[in-house]
Amino acid sequence: MRSLSLYVKRNSLIHKIDPFTKIIYVFVSVISPFIMPTLIFSASLTLINLMLLLLAKVVKRVIPIISFVFIIILTIFVIQGMFYGANQTKLFTIFNLSFYVEGILYAAKISIRAINVLLAFSLLILTTPPAEMIESLVRRGMPAKLGYIMHSVLQIIPMMSSNASIIMDAQRARGMETEGSLWVRIKAFIPLIGPLVMSSLVNTHERSIALEVRGFSAATKKTFLHQEEVPGGMKQLRIFLLLFLAAVLVWRLTL
Amino acid sequence: MKEIIINNLSYKYSLAENKALNNISLEIEKGDFIGVIGPNKAGKSTFCKSLVGLIPHFYKGEFEGEILIDDLNTLNSSIAEISLKVGLVFQDPFNQISGAKLSVYDELAFGLENNGVEREEMITRIDKYLDLMDLNEVKDNNPFELSGGQMQRLAIASIMALKPDVFVLDEPTSQLDPQGTEEVFKAVSRLREENLTVILVSQKLNKLADYANKILFLNQGGIVAYDDTAAVFSRNDLEQMGMGVPIYTEIARELELKNEKDQYPIRNSELKEMLVAKYGKNIGK
Repeated sequence: MRSLSLYVKRNSLIHKIDPFTKIIYVFVSVISPFIMPTLIFSASLTLINLMLLLLAKVVKRVIPIISFVFIIILTIFVIQGMFYGANQTKLFTIFNLSFYVEGILYAAKISIRAINVLLAFSLLILTTPPAEMIESLVRRGMPAKLGYIMHSVLQIIPMMSSNASIIMDAQRARGMETEGSLWVRIKAFIPLIGPLVMSSLVNTHERSIALEVRGFSAATKKTFLHQEEVPGGMKQLRIFLLLFLAAVLVWRLTL
Repeated sequence: MKEIIINNLSYKYSLAENKALNNISLEIEKGDFIGVIGPNKAGKSTFCKSLVGLIPHFYKGEFEGEILIDDLNTLNSSIAEISLKVGLVFQDPFNQISGAKLSVYDELAFGLENNGVEREEMITRIDKYLDLMDLNEVKDNNPFELSGGQMQRLAIASIMALKPDVFVLDEPTSQLDPQGTEEVFKAVSRLREENLTVILVSQKLNKLADYANKILFLNQGGIVAYDDTAAVFSRNDLEQMGMGVPIYTEIARELELKNEKDQYPIRNSELKEMLVAKYGKNIGK
């Protein structure tokens, strides 16, 4: 059984950076374009993210994610290009539909920001094993129970889907049609839900007992098997990132 | 020395009509290996859950009486506190995997991390119990990819690592194939070597006869018998209550072979000895 994860194992500088520093980076990189909403600023952050992804050797994995949001971005361009409130300067006309410079620029600003968010999170998720990321947050005060939920979702969803296929096989063995037209598939889905949900509930109940007898609710301070490996200079990098965010904030407020 | 003292324990699950346990009082000595037997609905699992404090802390219901483990009263202690004294392993090996760890090695650390065990100590214990439960070969595997027997041994090792004084196993082999069952019983025999007090619920009477020094026979929430293994299995009314006896005892009964204590033999070796004594060395030739 595989744990759900987008993590790509590579040997790169970015992979060596500890999860917490990366989380701070993502936070700064995502937030600052909203504080400083200029096109050039957002675009340069996006470019930095792209370069970091190149450095991490994971650019290929980003392409499907980007292409998925491409449709949404296209819609933004079409709608803002035509209907943005401050539209004045006509750029071009197709089939009597006029597109304006102001709208297109505005759409570009939103889209770049969206892509930036996407790239920043991809950088974190593609280069950090989820377990390490969660543990790094639990170390810094995130409730261990929340950490457990995040961990277990990654493991238990694949488990549920394998359960679902067992139940489907059982139903198929008793003559239920599960393949064919969309309608047949929908009909086959309904009787699957009952047993799947019930068995998951029972499993969860039992698992919670198993967790309890292993001190899940213990009041003592948690310890960790794995030591956190923080490469040199990360503290300075974190401070630099936060100072950068502060600078952006000050710049915006005084502008 | 007394390890566990139970006084007038009764418990009724909420929404249930009858009491699952009814006025149970008994004492368990340190180092005892107690085999718990009984038909369905006898209260075996409820008994186990009470010992680790899941009843009354996890399952709400009507709880009466008290369970003392050393000086710890389960009623006044949290499950986490009790779990350091009493460990529980139950039927379904799959559901005992935490689901938060990606390797067997890390899975063993789960309980230790929760209980704030120092890292060096943690590693020492994990290595020890990986060895003891023969899990070294699979230590880097995902826990969900193990076989049933391996998973159950992992569950036992995870509890062992917490170093409880009492180990409760609630039908740990009921969902395993013969090979897995054999593996788990081998693991259980190692618990004995660790000098733990063990309480094992099982339908595998031959195995219980090999390991347990006492048998607790529960039926409909009450104690039918709590005595030395041979004494319980020598009773004539076990079948009436839906329980069998170990195969060697059954043979001895057919042949009316009793020892000087007026008890039937319960183990292979005992039966063999008595057969030889009665029919001579060349029996079967």
